Amino acid sequence: MSSIRGRLSALLLLAAALTALVLGVVTYRHTLAENEALFDYQLRQIALSLRDQGVVSNPAGADGNDPLEVVVQIWTASGAMLYLSRSGDPLFTQAVLGFTDVDAGRRRWRVFSLAARDRVIQVAQPLALRRDLAAAAALSSLLPLLAFAPVMALLIWWLVGSSLAPLRRLAQELAQRDAASLARVGGTALPQEILPLTQALNDLLERLQKAFAHQRGFVADAAHELRSPLTALKLQLQLLERATDAASRQEAWQQMHQGVDRATHLIAQLLTAAQTDPHDTTAQLAPLDLSELVRSEIAAIYALAHTREITLTLDAPATATLTGDAARLQILVRNLIDNALRYTSAKGQVQVAIVQRPNGISLIVDDSGPGLAAFDAQRAFDRFYRGRSNDQSGSGLGLSIVKNIADQHSAELILQAAPLGGLRVVVHFTQAIHIESSGN
Amino acid sequence: MRILLAEDDPMIGTAIRTALRQDGYVVDWVQDGGAAGRAVVIEHFDLVLLDLGLPDRDGLHVLQTIRRAKLRLPVIIITARDGIGARIAGLDAGADDYVIKPFDLNELAARIRSTMRRSAGLADPEIVLQDVRINPATRTVLRAGLPVALSTREYAIVDALMLRPGTILSRAQLEERLYGWGDEVESNAVEVHIHGIRRKLGTDFIRNVRGVGYFIAQSEQTA
Repeated sequence: MSSIRGRLSALLLLAAALTALVLGVVTYRHTLAENEALFDYQLRQIALSLRDQGVVSNPAGADGNDPLEVVVQIWTASGAMLYLSRSGDPLFTQAVLGFTDVDAGRRRWRVFSLAARDRVIQVAQPLALRRDLAAAAALSSLLPLLAFAPVMALLIWWLVGSSLAPLRRLAQELAQRDAASLARVGGTALPQEILPLTQALNDLLERLQKAFAHQRGFVADAAHELRSPLTALKLQLQLLERATDAASRQEAWQQMHQGVDRATHLIAQLLTAAQTDPHDTTAQLAPLDLSELVRSEIAAIYALAHTREITLTLDAPATATLTGDAARLQILVRNLIDNALRYTSAKGQVQVAIVQRPNGISLIVDDSGPGLAAFDAQRAFDRFYRGRSNDQSGSGLGLSIVKNIADQHSAELILQAAPLGGLRVVVHFTQAIHIESSGN
Repeated sequence: MRILLAEDDPMIGTAIRTALRQDGYVVDWVQDGGAAGRAVVIEHFDLVLLDLGLPDRDGLHVLQTIRRAKLRLPVIIITARDGIGARIAGLDAGADDYVIKPFDLNELAARIRSTMRRSAGLADPEIVLQDVRINPATRTVLRAGLPVALSTREYAIVDALMLRPGTILSRAQLEERLYGWGDEVESNAVEVHIHGIRRKLGTDFIRNVRGVGYFIAQSEQTA
């Protein structure tokens, strides 16, 4: 699991370590460069003082404990060893005047050679000494940093942690919520780095809240609506129990059948309404032939119209192509025709037409029922609104379903007075269309 | 006894009407609030069964119409609105009882009887006058402890007169309790039923005030 705190702490510590390293190297090199000049000056001073004194004394305390490890060699002009500050053999025999670096006795030496009257004075010092001193200086400059490192690590850990506290609070706030709580998060001031997150979260919560409210409303409405057919069924069942003679029993049976049919219809419509929810965006749009679709729906429902002695007609071009979700448009067409048939009394008329308009295509369903008078136009599309015609046990969902599907197709839905005297419903699809000349 | 049923659902309305008729009530059924509001002020009803979710006018509005008209008409609300708020609103608007759908027909019948009893100011479910005792729940009639068989309409007349002893009901008022809309009213039907009752419960049980109507005397008056 990746942790911002762990990662940040590690990276900050690494950065601090790198800084210390660079600091050490710089100190080392700087000290080295400074010492170079200083030590060279020292060598030269020793050589000069040896020349000027003309005396070979112990120039740098030849007690064998010389911390500067200076070795002095004095030669005569003829090349004989005049003086050697240490026991044993001379370090080297060649002499180049001035400063040189010479390898001798497994070490590298800095040598200053000076010619004076009859002799050559050489003062040498191991180069390693200079590097050791520079390293010691670099180390001593780093020591406080190293000592401070654990404190710094703790400080970084704490700082990163406290900077991330708003995130932790947000997480706690969210963790303590129950499933139903969709209130906005992060009421208190949050760092601007977290704001986009909470903003997006709040937007999501708001959308969820709307969808939940819609669903809750739908379930509440549905439960309420199911009461009526269930009440009817219960009453019909009790009448059946009470029935003493064959005739009333027969009557009660018939009523119960109707009651069950009605409950079944309502449940089917509820399911359709839930599937065509306006928040649902799963419509699968594809080119389809509206004429053919309406023809097959009319064929399916024709028997019902015939039994109720209602004249059901279609006036449509041979093909009318538009882009839509075929399954949902079927539901739309079926509901419109079904509604028209429900509200039309026996021997009435229902006329379906598909008409080309300059800006699209209109599906028109006219009936000879009670028409707009039976509707509150404001509420006609509301779920479970039935208008005043209660002789037909509709679910009250038909027009609401039609409205949802029309919305999904960006189609306009208009209720008007029909020339037949009843209701005219126009579904106007405003999109590029292709109509072939009328085939009927 | 005549009941106005205001219920917009055709299936529920049909079932309630059928059941109440089987119980011997005269039932008139309206399907919207406007018709209910008109019916209660024009005609006599002994009780109203009122659905709240009526299409054009809410049941509560009809109830307010009834109470504003100072009608002492018992009203039982039958509704799917089961929220506490809706129940309180219904009872406070003047309903005598509140029945939530779906309900049991037998319970509805019992609530109708208890509401009728209370509106008549009776505590005892049985009504006793002189030597006659009737039980509205079982619709049984006892005279001097012996059961007497009355026809549905005879019982309706006895029930109406016994609920308010000493109160005179005219022939028209009795007819209103016997016949709903669409029922054929025979010209001398009330007289025929009264005759039948007198034959079974005694000639003096129902008294006649000529030209005014009929009443059943308080027990004390006959002593």
